[in-house]
Amino acid sequence: MNRKISQQIAFTLFRIFGLLVVVILFSILGFIVVNGIQVINWEFLTTAPKDGMTTGGIFPAIVGTFYLIVGSLLIAFPLGVMSAVYTNEYAGRGWIVKIIRMMTNNLAGIPSIVFGLFGMALFVNKLGFGDSILAGSLTLSVLVLPLIIRTTEEALKAVPDSFRTGSLALGATKLQTIRKVVLPTALPNIITGLILSVGRISGETAPILFTVAAYFLPHLPTSLYDQVMALPYHLYALATSGTDIEASRPMAYGTALVLIGIVLIMNLIASFIRRRLERKWKRN
Amino acid sequence: MKKTMLVIISMLSLTLALNAQKIKGSDTVLPLSQKEAESYMKANPSGRVTVTGGGSGVGISALVDGTADIAQSSRRIKFMEKHKIKESGKTLREVIVAYDALAIVIHPSNPISNMTREQLEDIFTGKITNWKQVGGSDLKIVAYSRETSSGTYEFFKKSVLKDKNYVTGIMSLPATGAIIQSIGQTKGAIGYVGVAYLNPSVKPVSVSYDAGKTFIAPTIENARNKTYPVVRPLYYYYTKSDAKIKKYIDFVLSPAGQKLVAEMGYVKAN
Amino acid sequence: MIKNKFFKRLIEKGVEAMLTLSGAVTSIIILFMCIFLFVEGFGLFKSSTVEEGYSIYVNSENPVSELSPQELKQIFDSEVTNWKEFGGKDQAIRVYRFDEIFKTYPEEEMGEDFSILPIVLGDVVRENEGIVAFLPTDFAPEANNGIKMIPADQISFSDFFLGEEWLPTATPSPLFGLMPLLLGTLLVSLLAISIALPLGLGVAIYLSELADERTRRFMKPVIELLAGIPSVVYGFFGLVVLAPIIQKTFNLPVGETALTGGVILAIMALPTIISIAEDAMRNTPREMREASLALGATKWQTIYKVIIPYSKSGISAAVVLGIGRAIGETMAVLMVTGNGAMIPGSVFDSVRTIPATIAAELGEAPFSGPHYQSLFLLGCVLFVITMVISVASEVISKKQNYKH
Repeated sequence: MNRKISQQIAFTLFRIFGLLVVVILFSILGFIVVNGIQVINWEFLTTAPKDGMTTGGIFPAIVGTFYLIVGSLLIAFPLGVMSAVYTNEYAGRGWIVKIIRMMTNNLAGIPSIVFGLFGMALFVNKLGFGDSILAGSLTLSVLVLPLIIRTTEEALKAVPDSFRTGSLALGATKLQTIRKVVLPTALPNIITGLILSVGRISGETAPILFTVAAYFLPHLPTSLYDQVMALPYHLYALATSGTDIEASRPMAYGTALVLIGIVLIMNLIASFIRRRLERKWKRN
Repeated sequence: MKKTMLVIISMLSLTLALNAQKIKGSDTVLPLSQKEAESYMKANPSGRVTVTGGGSGVGISALVDGTADIAQSSRRIKFMEKHKIKESGKTLREVIVAYDALAIVIHPSNPISNMTREQLEDIFTGKITNWKQVGGSDLKIVAYSRETSSGTYEFFKKSVLKDKNYVTGIMSLPATGAIIQSIGQTKGAIGYVGVAYLNPSVKPVSVSYDAGKTFIAPTIENARNKTYPVVRPLYYYYTKSDAKIKKYIDFVLSPAGQKLVAEMGYVKAN
Repeated sequence: MIKNKFFKRLIEKGVEAMLTLSGAVTSIIILFMCIFLFVEGFGLFKSSTVEEGYSIYVNSENPVSELSPQELKQIFDSEVTNWKEFGGKDQAIRVYRFDEIFKTYPEEEMGEDFSILPIVLGDVVRENEGIVAFLPTDFAPEANNGIKMIPADQISFSDFFLGEEWLPTATPSPLFGLMPLLLGTLLVSLLAISIALPLGLGVAIYLSELADERTRRFMKPVIELLAGIPSVVYGFFGLVVLAPIIQKTFNLPVGETALTGGVILAIMALPTIISIAEDAMRNTPREMREASLALGATKWQTIYKVIIPYSKSGISAAVVLGIGRAIGETMAVLMVTGNGAMIPGSVFDSVRTIPATIAAELGEAPFSGPHYQSLFLLGCVLFVITMVISVASEVISKKQNYKH
């Protein structure tokens, strides 16, 4: 009897915990959505901040974040995929691959502020890019590289070995096999990783603080050497500075909502693709 | 092919980027510069001004290495900084764009309304820790400061603390907005913010610099007629006598620009 | 035809070389990071304890010839006002800052390139026996007849690693003490993990053992979403909602405490802990569960006698990674912990963590000065801590793999 009671207690507790996590998520989401939805309209999304950031919109920050996403993925995506192809298809199982995997894991564990320091030392100062889209994108691409490598590797692992041996048996070279068989099969999963990285990049503040982010920049950037506004930094600025914090609060909620929106939509798309694929694999 | 295109595009854009005037420095002057830049560009659609923060010291060092055209500063340039600019062969130009009065603020429920400089010094250097020591209720004092090396931090240290260091472990927040937010929700709080930032969620106290003889309230009028003691000029520093920079600075000093200064809650420069 | 084949092989070899190179890219990046962080950071130990470009001078009648950074701070903060406390004469200390000279002599009278400045400064020091003057080295008087320079040491390892005060912009001697920041970081992270671990473990058990398929399919994305929310949004939420709640609940003078940071970080670390712990539990072989149940154990007994011990290393890996996430988190902590740089005495004290310090101060630290270098050194500390954590979690989860 006693055993049953302790089981009851423990299980009830776990259910409550499970519920609690859901409640936490929805209270954060709800808090942002309820407060943010009121300010979101067409003007908010398409104009620059006005009147000391208390009215107007966040268009430059949206565009800036978009540039940073494109810029960093242009660098990190090819590099990450190639790195994953090497470790998964070429390197075999020796100690080299072990070291490479360990390094990738370690890189993933490094705090984002350290990437900011690194980016500032190397790209901003040493290479002389200054605070610029170029420096910011490079910093973010370093940050997101492990994520791309990892998801690509998983995608490559999911390709059945029979595909490879089949192609090789038909006389294709290893490179041809990878290009014509392995990569196309793994592509949807790789894309999932790509989408997840978009979410990651758009939410990071610490790495762009000292490499690209501008407090105010009403015009859109025209070159790689320009600074840009970016959504996460803009939210940070709105939440902590500005002369009229009460008046800029709604703008902060709106920015938070847009930011969360981008990240969540990206995550949803990624998990949607993944789920469809899982079903497809099961059917096969 | 793609690569050459990229090179051409980035070179083109490099030349474009040179046309923007970069203002960098004090976070206190940041909202003002932002607003000035906003209306300047409205009046001159071809003008391009970018505004970034980072603190007064950063703005001035950016001026030295040429990554900024105008350094906005909430404190006077230091002797050694001036010396450095001189050594790099540039001529420094200084212009006061506005005055900022620093208000001492507390939680609205706090009954205290007058404080002397000495009391403030003791609070921020940690000698006084309870409100009853300055005639208030029995409540722990929570002092908020700005981050180290912001111009406001240094000005307050010089003017109120007479160059003594703040108490170790003082709560320090990255920006004035955060200080207002925190003081508004903390009963025993005290902090310092520009008068421009005052809002009903915090209560400003009158300050005496003559050991309690006269207490002056932090208002724009008192700052204009120089009776309020904690006032500092806000500066623009620049080194190039470029027509575009001059045009922008002329705009800031023009009646239209100074009207914005007053609207933002600062004191006009002229 | 043969030529074509040869060409193809060449391309193939080229591509392979490129792939190999990109395979090493993460290792290269880590190497670069090491170099840049450590070169910049260790520069701090070459800096002098007195602010760059300045020196300390006293009258040569004064028997005191050495002053530590802490002693200088006490003098310039007027905490110590008599020389006898530092082994000198019974004489009041007269603190003299460089700017004071312009009160007596206007800047314009200093001549071309301030050539007169060292002379007048020399007079000031010579005339006041109790003086301690803080002057720019370039314009300081020569240290002879009546003037003595107090030699400045280089900042030592123990000044940084064992220092208990973080006052990076203090004059004349900035103090770069790691202790308050390190302890603050550890306190917040430990708080976070002690909240997140029971909660996360409970949810993981719930998901892997109790929940039906439909709940699972709902919960999994919810937890993923929790992981996807940007940290600055958590910080904003913490600042506006959580800090006032904590303040009211515990009746505290302030809402920005280590605890507030711990709670926010706990929420942020939850997804990591849940997903890793759940994976580990689901990997428990079915035979083991069934054997336990067949022996008459209840489901709960099976969970804590069989499944949890079996997935112990997976759970430990989750804990380690959760701590790693918490230690490195920047923006959320910066916004909610109050950033007071002192060694925390309780969970209701304000703390300043290492990442928050870097984020708050790097933008304002003059390039390549000691302050800038000290922040890079903090980066090194963070880098080493997280490296150790990554390696530890890898070793731990390897153990799990061997058991299979």
